[in-house]
Amino acid sequence: MAVLRRTARAYGAMMAMVPKLFMAYQIWVWMQFIVQIISLVILVSFWSAVYAGESSLSGLTLAQTLNYIILAQIFAPSTDTNMVFELGYMVRSGQIGMRLIQPLDLQLALYVQKVSEIALAFVFNLPLALIGWLLFRYHVPADPLVWLAFLVSLLIGNALLFCFDWILACASFYSTEVWGMGMLRYGVALFFSGALVPLAMMPGWLRTISTILPFSQALYTPVSLLSGITPLSGMPRIWLAQLAALVALGALSRFTFSRAVRQVTVQGG
Amino acid sequence: MSVIQTENLTKIFRVPQKDAGVRGAVKALFQPRYKDVTAVDGVTFSVEKGEVVGYIGLNGAGKSTTIKMLTGILVPSSGQVRVLGRDPHRERVANARQIGVVFGQRTQLWWDLALIESLNTIAKIYEMDPQRYDQLLEQFVDLLDLKDLLKVPVRNMSLGQKMRAELAATLIHEPEVVYLDEPTIGLDLIVKERMRAFIKQQNRETGTTVVLTTHDLGDIEELCQRVIIIDEGKLIYDGPLSAIKERFGKYRQITFEMARDLDGVDLPAGAEIVTQDGRSLVLRFDRTQTTASRVAAAVMEQFNVVDFSLAEPDLSMIVKQIYQGALHPEAV
Ligand SMILES: Nc1ncnc2c1ncn2[C@@H]1O[C@H](COP(=O)(O)OP(=O)(O)OP(=O)(O)O)[C@@H](O)[C@H]1O
Ligand SMILES: [Mg+2]
Repeated sequence: MAVLRRTARAYGAMMAMVPKLFMAYQIWVWMQFIVQIISLVILVSFWSAVYAGESSLSGLTLAQTLNYIILAQIFAPSTDTNMVFELGYMVRSGQIGMRLIQPLDLQLALYVQKVSEIALAFVFNLPLALIGWLLFRYHVPADPLVWLAFLVSLLIGNALLFCFDWILACASFYSTEVWGMGMLRYGVALFFSGALVPLAMMPGWLRTISTILPFSQALYTPVSLLSGITPLSGMPRIWLAQLAALVALGALSRFTFSRAVRQVTVQGG
Repeated sequence: MSVIQTENLTKIFRVPQKDAGVRGAVKALFQPRYKDVTAVDGVTFSVEKGEVVGYIGLNGAGKSTTIKMLTGILVPSSGQVRVLGRDPHRERVANARQIGVVFGQRTQLWWDLALIESLNTIAKIYEMDPQRYDQLLEQFVDLLDLKDLLKVPVRNMSLGQKMRAELAATLIHEPEVVYLDEPTIGLDLIVKERMRAFIKQQNRETGTTVVLTTHDLGDIEELCQRVIIIDEGKLIYDGPLSAIKERFGKYRQITFEMARDLDGVDLPAGAEIVTQDGRSLVLRFDRTQTTASRVAAAVMEQFNVVDFSLAEPDLSMIVKQIYQGALHPEAV
């Protein structure tokens, strides 16, 4: 028990560093905020134009789609682990050495750091949520159970995406040129996570791909619940599927890392 | 039981070979070629608890690579390492908890945060007892003169300030083994003195084992009783510092400046040429066989000498000789 508490304290300390580091880059946080507002306005206009008088597309009304899109924008940071870039940079610069001399499990340490970063990004999206509400009056559920279900699904989905990204990022130990892969991952995620299009609107085969890829688990799955596209009753089945994916990806990512880290060449020195 | 044990420790890097230009890049993509670089080559040694060992060698000799394998962040290509009875790579986290590392060119501190934030975090990730931490922090601040630096972000520190901060971060969690890879690189004499005194004191008071690489032989002379010398990845000397001093200490060196370029020179028994370059001639002689005046007289008889000087053998002279091959069997 005491061991567990000390371990929690150690990883908690890593987590607590995140807001401090974040504050060091304050000005960029605000710049990003402006970009987000503009994106939101563009997306809303785009979807309103797509509907052009139609009352429903693929079974979704305009109001439902807009509701979904706005919420997806607010929670979009959930898919940004940036792991490929970050681990890639650490290996290239040799800074990985300084991380590996810490008495921490590197994957777990980076995971808690990511969770902390993402939670903070949500906080910084609060003004976006407020302005979005003033402009477009979207709806959020009043039922706390829905919120709880959403949070659980978001947490599992984000964790399984982290494991997936970790596996990709492990390529950094074999090649110093992973930047392109990081860009590819980013583009694919933008589309298949459901940040721009509700998956329900995709043609069947695209939708299948989106469901198989892990990106939607961290965004579409939880947000569709919050926006009312998925009913609460569908949740247990979805959680189970998410948990199964988490266990599988978790095991695979541990295995990949334990192999990859043997390849590490700590540059410089 | 030894704290550190290595046996035939070897690291071979596979370095991709690339020709210049786009063609080279494309070729490398389809037909990658590699060259093997043996950075550390069959090194065997062991270090006992409480020792301070100097690990020296020329640039590229393989010092940093050895340290990286000892810390568990690089996996040896072959051979064995054990630190405190563990394989430092396989049990990296457990090993990391008991060691401290300074890589002179890097930092383990958070670049953008005040030093005190970094130290507080380190205390937590090393699971220190908070009271013990406060006590040591006070002591370290005093010894390393960190008082004015605690609120300063690392990126705003000068090199000397950063290295003092680094040393505090490395030792504050009371590691049993400390690896210092060029801890005094680029520091002025005062800071060097302070760092050396601190390392010495930590070693004396807590019995911390220290492995130190450096190009500053002052560090070695101040801190180490024992040196290990490697050359092109191979161990060429491992023993007490006093032994090499004794062995090479019987030599003296004389440097002559001549009026004209010289060709051949006859020397008395016991003297030999170290370097000969245009008008300057550096000789070394064995004090047990001949004397400075005899050697000088012999040279002056043959040449018009403008200037000459006699040097006591200091450590840097000895090490230079060793690097130049004085330990090779044929040279002894
Ligand atoms: N990551 C790497 N990839 C390829 N070769 C490497 C790598 N790291 C080191 N080397 C090579 O291994 C050899 C030993 O390097 P190392 O850094 O251990 O030397 P060193 O003794 O620490 O030198 P210095 O005194 O300059 O710090 C060098 O020839 C170097 O080029
Ligand atoms: Mg080095």
